Amino acid sequence: MTYKIPRFFLLAALLLPLAPAMAGDPAPVVVCYPGGPVNERDADQAMDAMLRVVERVGQWPAQSFTSAFTAKAAECEKFMADKKPAFAITSLGLYLQLRGQYDLVPVVQPKIGGRTSERYRVVAQKGRFHGLAELKGKSLGGTVLDEPDFIGKIVFAGKYDPAKDFALQPSRQAIRALRSLDKGELDAVVLNEQQFAGLDALGLSNPVEVVFTSEDIPLMGVVANAKLSTADDRVRFGKALEGTCSDAEGKKLCDLFGVQSFVAVNPVVFDPMAKLWLARN
Amino acid sequence: MRAEVRLLAIGLLLVSLAGCGGLHRDAAQAGLVGCPRQTAAGLIATQDTLGPLSDERVLMCALDFLRGSDDAALRRSSLGSRICLHLAERDADPVERERYAWEGVRFAEAAVAQGGKDDGSVHYYLAANLGLAVRDDMTQAMANLHRLEDEFKLAAKLSPDYDAGGPLRLLGMLYLKAPPWPSGIGDGDKALDLLKQAVDKHPTHPLNHLFYAQAMWEVDGELDSKLVKQEMNTGMKLLDSGNWGYNKKTWKREFADLHEEIGDAPQ
Repeated sequence: MTYKIPRFFLLAALLLPLAPAMAGDPAPVVVCYPGGPVNERDADQAMDAMLRVVERVGQWPAQSFTSAFTAKAAECEKFMADKKPAFAITSLGLYLQLRGQYDLVPVVQPKIGGRTSERYRVVAQKGRFHGLAELKGKSLGGTVLDEPDFIGKIVFAGKYDPAKDFALQPSRQAIRALRSLDKGELDAVVLNEQQFAGLDALGLSNPVEVVFTSEDIPLMGVVANAKLSTADDRVRFGKALEGTCSDAEGKKLCDLFGVQSFVAVNPVVFDPMAKLWLARN
Repeated sequence: MRAEVRLLAIGLLLVSLAGCGGLHRDAAQAGLVGCPRQTAAGLIATQDTLGPLSDERVLMCALDFLRGSDDAALRRSSLGSRICLHLAERDADPVERERYAWEGVRFAEAAVAQGGKDDGSVHYYLAANLGLAVRDDMTQAMANLHRLEDEFKLAAKLSPDYDAGGPLRLLGMLYLKAPPWPSGIGDGDKALDLLKQAVDKHPTHPLNHLFYAQAMWEVDGELDSKLVKQEMNTGMKLLDSGNWGYNKKTWKREFADLHEEIGDAPQ
C-alpha cells in the first residue's frame, strides 16, 4: 500500500474486531508497508496503541490482537510464512505477489475523498519532458519505487519496465525526492494520489507538470487468508470495519486520517490488476 | 538542565490539551511531609541544582513549594515545568507520568501568561512536557503536532543552546517522528539538519549523538550505517563517562533500542 502511513495504521487497527474468536495467544495481524519511512519499533508501538482502541471499539477483550509490522517486502513474506495470519494489511503489489501462495482475498477497502481507487502520476519540471517515452534512460525517484514490479506491471500497465527503462532512485521520503526534482538532481518523480494532492502546498521553486497518469488503481485494504478464516469471519470483520467510522471514537481516527469509511470489497475490482500482474510473469 | 522526551512514533504522534482546570486540581500528588522550609528567594538561588542529579524527594519538595507559591519571578520561570518533566521521566507509572507532564504544561502556560514568553526555556519545557503527556494517545498527539512545532521553534529561536542544544534536539526529533509530508509535518531533511547542528554546537551531550544517529538511520537507512554506528558509539562513550544522574538509565535504554533497531546490539 502506498498511501500515507497513518491510514495504513488505521486500517491495521480497525482489523482487530475480527480476531475475537481466537482464544489464547493474541491473533497476529501482519502489516506490510514496503518503502515506508518508518522506524519499525515505533510503528509496532503505534500499531499496538491503535489495536487497543479497536479492541475497545469492537468489544473484543483487550490484547486480543498483536501486530507484526515490517517496511521490508522480503520480511513481509517471512512474516506471512511464519506467523500465518488470518488477516493482514499489505500493499497492492504484495497482495498480487502473495495471493496465490496464501489464498489471500480482499475484505475491505478504504474510501478516501469519495473514492476507493487512486491514480499514480509521474511529474517532471515543466517543459522538460512530454511523456514517459522521453524519460527513458533518465532518473526516476519516489517512495513507491520500493516495489518496482508493481510500478512496472500495474502503474505502467506493463508498458515500461522501471528497472530497465529508467535509472531508479527510490527514496524513503517523497519530499526529498521532490526537492531533488526541484533542484534538477532528479528528472522525474512518481507519486501516489495523496502525494500528488499535496504538491501545491509544498512551495517548490520550479513548477512541475504531469507527464504520465495511470489508470484507476484500487486502494488496497485488509486481506484475509481464505484457508485460515471462515466466510463468517470475513463477513464479521467487514461489518465491523464498515461501522467503525460511525463510532464516536472510531470516527475521530477516520477523520484524522481522511478516511470517510471502509467498504466491503467487490472482488471484481482487483481482477484487472491480477491480469496485469500475470501478463508478464 | 537536561531534558529528554521520547516523542513518539511513526507517524502517529502527539498531542492535545485536555481540559486540566487549575494547576493544583489535576496536579500529581506528591503527598509530602517533612520537606525543609523553603523560600522563593532560596529556591531561585538554588534552581540550577535541581535536575537529573537531584533526588526525587528534593524535586518533589521544590514542586510542592512551587504549587503554592505566588512569587512572580518563580511563576514566570521554567522551573516548575522543568521539575515536572524530570519527575515525569522518572515515573514508571504511565498515569502518574502523564499527570506530571500535564502539570508541567500548565506551569509553562502560566509562566508565559505571567511574563515568561520571551524565555526560550519556558517554551522548551512546555513542548517537552506536552510531547510526553500525549505520547500514548495518537489522536491527541496528532491534534497538537503544530503546537509542539510552534513551541519548539520558539524555544530554538530564543534559546537554541539551552540544555546543550535541547530545542534543536527535540525539534529535530519532532520532525523525525511526526507523520511525513504530505500527511504531516515530519521532514527527514529538517530533522537531519537540526540534529547535525545540535551535534556540532554541543558535541558533549550524548543524546545529540544518539538522536543524530537515529535520524541518519531512519532517513537514509543502510546508506549511512557506518556513520550511524560511529555517531552512536560517540554518544555511548559520553554517556558512560559522564555524570548524567537519573537520566543515565533512561538514556542507556534509548541507546540499546537503537542498537537493537540496527541489528547491532551491545554485548
